[in-house]
Amino acid sequence: MKIKQLVLDPIVKDNPIALQILGICSALAVTVQLKNVFVMCAAVTLVVAFANMGVSLIRNHVPSSIRIIVQMTIIASLVIVAEQFLKAFVFDQWKTMAVYVGLIITNCIVMGRTEAFGMKNGPIESFFDGIGNGLGYSFILIVVGFFRELFGSGKLFGMTVFELTKDGGWYQANGLMLLPPSAFIIIGVIIWLIRTYDPSQVEESN
Amino acid sequence: MSNSSETLKTLTVAGLLCIVCSVIVAGIVVTLRPQQAKNAELDMKKNILQSAGLLSDGQDIDEAFKSIHSVVVNIETGEVVNDMNPENYDMVEANANPEMNVEIPSDKDYGGLSTRPKYANVYLEKDESGDTKTVILKLWSKGLWSTMYGFIALDTEATVKGFGYYAHGETPGLGGEVDNPKWKQQWVGKSIYDNTNEVAIKVAKGEAQGEYQVDGLSGATITSNGVTNSMKYWFSDHGYKKLLNRVAEGGL
Amino acid sequence: MSALRSFLDKQGEMFHKGGKLEKLYPLYEALDTFAYTPGIKATGNTHVRDSIDLKRTMISVVFALTPAILFCLYNTGYQANAAMAANGMEAIGWRADIIRMIGLGFDPGNFIHNFVYGALWFFPVFLVTQIAGGTCEVIFSIIRKHEVNEGFLVTGMLYPLTLPPTIPLWQVAVGIIFGVVIGKEIFGGTGKNIFNPALTGRAFLFFAYPAQISGDAVWTAVDGYTGATMLGQAAAGGMDAITYSWNDAFIGLVPGSMGETSTLMCLLGAGFLIMTGIGNWRIMLSMLLGMVGMSFFLNTIGSETNPMFAVTPEWHLVMGSFAFACVFMATDPVSASMTNTGRLVYGALIGVLGVLIRVVNPAYPEGWMLAILFMNSMAPLIDYFVVERNIKRRMARYV
Repeated sequence: MKIKQLVLDPIVKDNPIALQILGICSALAVTVQLKNVFVMCAAVTLVVAFANMGVSLIRNHVPSSIRIIVQMTIIASLVIVAEQFLKAFVFDQWKTMAVYVGLIITNCIVMGRTEAFGMKNGPIESFFDGIGNGLGYSFILIVVGFFRELFGSGKLFGMTVFELTKDGGWYQANGLMLLPPSAFIIIGVIIWLIRTYDPSQVEESN
Repeated sequence: MSNSSETLKTLTVAGLLCIVCSVIVAGIVVTLRPQQAKNAELDMKKNILQSAGLLSDGQDIDEAFKSIHSVVVNIETGEVVNDMNPENYDMVEANANPEMNVEIPSDKDYGGLSTRPKYANVYLEKDESGDTKTVILKLWSKGLWSTMYGFIALDTEATVKGFGYYAHGETPGLGGEVDNPKWKQQWVGKSIYDNTNEVAIKVAKGEAQGEYQVDGLSGATITSNGVTNSMKYWFSDHGYKKLLNRVAEGGL
Repeated sequence: MSALRSFLDKQGEMFHKGGKLEKLYPLYEALDTFAYTPGIKATGNTHVRDSIDLKRTMISVVFALTPAILFCLYNTGYQANAAMAANGMEAIGWRADIIRMIGLGFDPGNFIHNFVYGALWFFPVFLVTQIAGGTCEVIFSIIRKHEVNEGFLVTGMLYPLTLPPTIPLWQVAVGIIFGVVIGKEIFGGTGKNIFNPALTGRAFLFFAYPAQISGDAVWTAVDGYTGATMLGQAAAGGMDAITYSWNDAFIGLVPGSMGETSTLMCLLGAGFLIMTGIGNWRIMLSMLLGMVGMSFFLNTIGSETNPMFAVTPEWHLVMGSFAFACVFMATDPVSASMTNTGRLVYGALIGVLGVLIRVVNPAYPEGWMLAILFMNSMAPLIDYFVVERNIKRRMARYV
């Protein structure tokens, strides 16, 4: 498989959130501000990429009886490392995301990729597959974060775009956007649009 | 034979993996710890300065915090506890520890807190001659959904210089308006106590009336009551009143 | 009449396949079938004959709503005028200018004054709803190439009635657009929606712009006037704090959402809906019983700190929007349960949940909107169990 394909396919064609419906929890929790979104996306992308590569490197030496726990160990270590870095360098973002950084361990995308891809392919491909899926995840989160921050607090990256009425401007903040369910609604709309554009993603009804 | 060698291999892989992972994790945790501690301290200072309204835009936090001395005070007596290091004491954490907290009698427990810590973190802003100009106190109470944590800055006459919450989970647009800068500004210059030395400051129902009130948060009665209750409790005899008396006498 | 018919037929050519305005066919079709019963006949083997089609059903609901709408016009004006008279306030704004221009006043004792002033508050909201929601509806029917559906007629009637008179008009538009698109079109259009679109729109406003749809300041159309609804009063001080008589509350002479205050008018509507068989009596009855049962239960438990526990069922009946929700919202045939047993369960659970939210949850003074939306999402599950149970019972009978 070509690397370009590995990286680009998961963004729209095989998106982990929109098509596989994985990793929804963090998409709800961290998308109030774009800054947090970017930190989270970077953390997830790097964790998936390196976990995938790490698993792939030792895939031929891992007895299948302990393969899940081996994958978990690698993922958990990487997540702790990622969290330590966030705590040291982007403390403010780390504080608002708090528990959700640690919860990357339970993000189905990571485990899903190591099991489905890393265990079967070489380290280079695995790394790029991780990057691709991380970007797919990031794409959805950025779109969600963009709308939530813009309509919820009239800002982008903390910079005022719409002057809020409470500060004497014209835009009245939309409180729904600050509540987690709004992320569900936005993801729903994204899935709707993606599937309208590419009907082959629609599940068959039974 | 093949069975036991497979078991051995499984154990070896598991063992090696654990060692490699723990070395990496431990190494990184140790290397980054000083930086993290610095961040946490800076964050605390920022919370204090920001909620108390003492931080202007673009000001360096360490610079602004220079004139502020942090002490631990016994709430019961209002006296400074010298043998406790304020750097290592956190009154919110201590409140969870049964040995470090005091039960609040139910007739005085306006904020629904049930306990308060014995000792308080207090931050004093002093002028050049060493006299206390501002005293910054931590307070919290139950809002609608969450416990709201804030700082209040008072001058020696117990007049508010700044007030704000640094952590709460109230409804955006209603109770969440406790973060509204315009609303926070209303607190400045209000006295905590009236002439009879009772706590008089409160959030009004609707528009503020009289010199001790600030406007109610519209559509957020319970959050507003929570704020009023935190004032009512924390500045009562059971709260910071003794301490504020000492500040007024110049004893802190 | 035949002149209109031939005019429509002539214009129709442009809209049919191959015509200049082919894309706008749904618009033409909507107008045509509004005026005339469609000439298209069902073909094929199975054919159920019924004197009533979707359009007539919806028009019947609108007819059932008429008492509530007329009362809404009167009461909105009455509440505003009474508040101004009691507090010596002046009416301001363009509505007041119109009243003065046509030579009317603000006398709360004068029926016409109240009615016209109320209409000036209600109709802008109503018009914005129709224009914004209708536009969405037409856009979707053009994209999806089907006829404009009549479902919106009712949604567009119900939605403005659930709003406070002071709601900003742009919020009305945003809310109904959300209700139509997210509440209905995203699931495939009328008949496929899981949620009641009118309530979805209202719920959106409730969470997005809570300051304009909750609290004490929004229920009376007087700028700067603060008056709690009965629910607000009861939540703060229990039954003793309610300043309105039960009779006033029953008739609906209290502040609240524009069309929801009158239990009496909703009962008239209920009578009509049940008589014509359009509204389901099982849902209404079981919701009523659920509400009564739950409030009795809470009365019995009692609470020292929460005065709402003591509110008795007959007050729950007349406060807030119970009657309106029960008669017009819960009975929405698309989003409610479809089986008869399911309807009983569905209604009863709404009754129980609504009282629970009203009484126990301090953040939401009113519970019916949330209870109905929640039960909307449960309705298919209820039906599933009912059907499964039926299958099992029948199998047991024949084995």
